Amino acid sequence: MISFASVSKEFKEGVAAKRVRALSNLTLEIERGQIFGFLGPNGAGKSTTIKILLNLIFPDSGRATIRGMDVCDKNVRRFVGYLPENPYFYDYLTAEELLWFGGKSSGMAKSAIVERSNLLLDKVQLLESRKRPLRTYSKGMVQRAGLALALIHNPDVVILDEPMSGLDPIGRKMVGDIILELKKEGKTVFFSSHILSDVERLCDRVGIIVGGQLRLTGCVAEILKGGDTLEDAFMREVHIAGLKEVR
Amino acid sequence: MQLLWPIAIITFKEGIRNRSIYGISLLALLMLLANFVISGMVAQEVSKVAVDIALSAISFSGLLLVLFVGINLMAKDLDRKTIYMVMAKPISRSQYLIGKYIGVILLITVCMSLLSFFAAVSLLLIKFGHPTFFQRFSWLMVGLSFFFTTLMLILVAALSFLFSSFTSTSFLTFILTIISYIIGMSLNDVKALVEAPQSVGITVSPVTVKIVQAAYYVFPNLSLFDIKLQAAHGLPVPVTYVIGIVAYTMVYSVIVMTMACLIFRKKEFP
Ligand SMILES: Nc1ncnc2c1ncn2[C@@H]1O[C@H](COP(=O)(O)OP(=O)(O)OP(=O)(O)O)[C@@H](O)[C@H]1O
Ligand SMILES: [Mg+2]
Repeated sequence: MISFASVSKEFKEGVAAKRVRALSNLTLEIERGQIFGFLGPNGAGKSTTIKILLNLIFPDSGRATIRGMDVCDKNVRRFVGYLPENPYFYDYLTAEELLWFGGKSSGMAKSAIVERSNLLLDKVQLLESRKRPLRTYSKGMVQRAGLALALIHNPDVVILDEPMSGLDPIGRKMVGDIILELKKEGKTVFFSSHILSDVERLCDRVGIIVGGQLRLTGCVAEILKGGDTLEDAFMREVHIAGLKEVR
Repeated sequence: MQLLWPIAIITFKEGIRNRSIYGISLLALLMLLANFVISGMVAQEVSKVAVDIALSAISFSGLLLVLFVGINLMAKDLDRKTIYMVMAKPISRSQYLIGKYIGVILLITVCMSLLSFFAAVSLLLIKFGHPTFFQRFSWLMVGLSFFFTTLMLILVAALSFLFSSFTSTSFLTFILTIISYIIGMSLNDVKALVEAPQSVGITVSPVTVKIVQAAYYVFPNLSLFDIKLQAAHGLPVPVTYVIGIVAYTMVYSVIVMTMACLIFRKKEFP
């Protein structure tokens, strides 16, 4: 469903500054209907990977595809939902208008948008504040609105960059429930997270990336079988990679 | 078109609800109010003074609108990454830019219509108070002047889109837009000056002449849009001139926006 074939990406900041190799030779395959958890320390390249998938940045080499279509084809995004990390939306729009935009630009009919937006706003507990400008929202409320926006057009592939960050325990549980619900509907979910307990609970497979290199992929059940916790596996990979400092 | 519309609508809504709009409108109203006082004091050629002040107030407020609201609409998308949510939709980078531009055109048109209406009311009241001075006054010319100002702002907005497609900060876009506006406004005079320097008794090097002539073809000639003088004196403007200005705006904006799209297509949003 989602596939990376030796994708590399380097950032050059400024004229003389040194280059940062954010991703090297990432090769990864995610099957349909899978919940994939993407783990890694800060600056490991998780968001970079996700931005490549959304065609926000272009890989230096390699190819990323979703459902066999190259991600630079804009039609890919008809069936992709995306929640950026630390999302920020328009100040003076309301949540309702935000979802209207999301639905309309995905080609949904007006009645379908209204119906689905009410359903989703209820699910993320924003139904009462739906007519307030997003400027007046708290961080967690913006995050919730973003989640509703990512799901408004009922996408087959859902890509979430740290969906739990900034949410209270109830919100975290809500996101977890939504992800499990998506799984039940046969959707593919790719999400990055630092909260290992959530990942353990929700994911079928995980990938651990350190310093731009994918160190480990595997089924959660298999990793846990040896008596390890996910945290043990995570720490071990970071240790083996010899990472001393956040880049 | 179906994809451009949603972007244009949210851009317009985001712009029209911006608090700066209130400030700009208030400033325009104050200037129009000052017009009453000033035209009461001059006591001669009242119509010329009043028309000149009203039209200047409108074009100045319009410029503030483009600089502080128009540029911000685009720049904030890039600075604060709101563009992520737009680019996550099946929308190409060019469609995004054009949709955004349509939204800004909508914003300029609506605000300018409103401001022009207030300006017209102020002129009407002044005319009522000093009927003898308004013999050669023409509503048509005043309306045309409002229209030309709107077209000029639409053109300046296109330039600001071009600048924001390659600059990394909104401040740079802001500065470049102001510079282009100033150059565009003075280009005609400067060109006339350097091509006939003997008339004012100065010498100009041939290189300067070449530079000015080159600038004349690159920058928009914004003084063409300024018909305050004709409006104040009630002089007619030929229909061909009006058609020419409309065509000029369209051709120039299309070229500039095409360039902006070409640059924007390669742009990354890290
Ligand atoms: N715009 C940029 N310019 C230069 N370097 C960048 C840029 N964006 C990211 N990087 C670098 O790329 C690497 C990967 O960053 P990325 O944002 O993908 O990390 P991450 O895994 O999402 O981290 P976090 O858990 O903190 O969100 C980091 O070393 C970072 O310094
Ligand atoms: Mg990240």
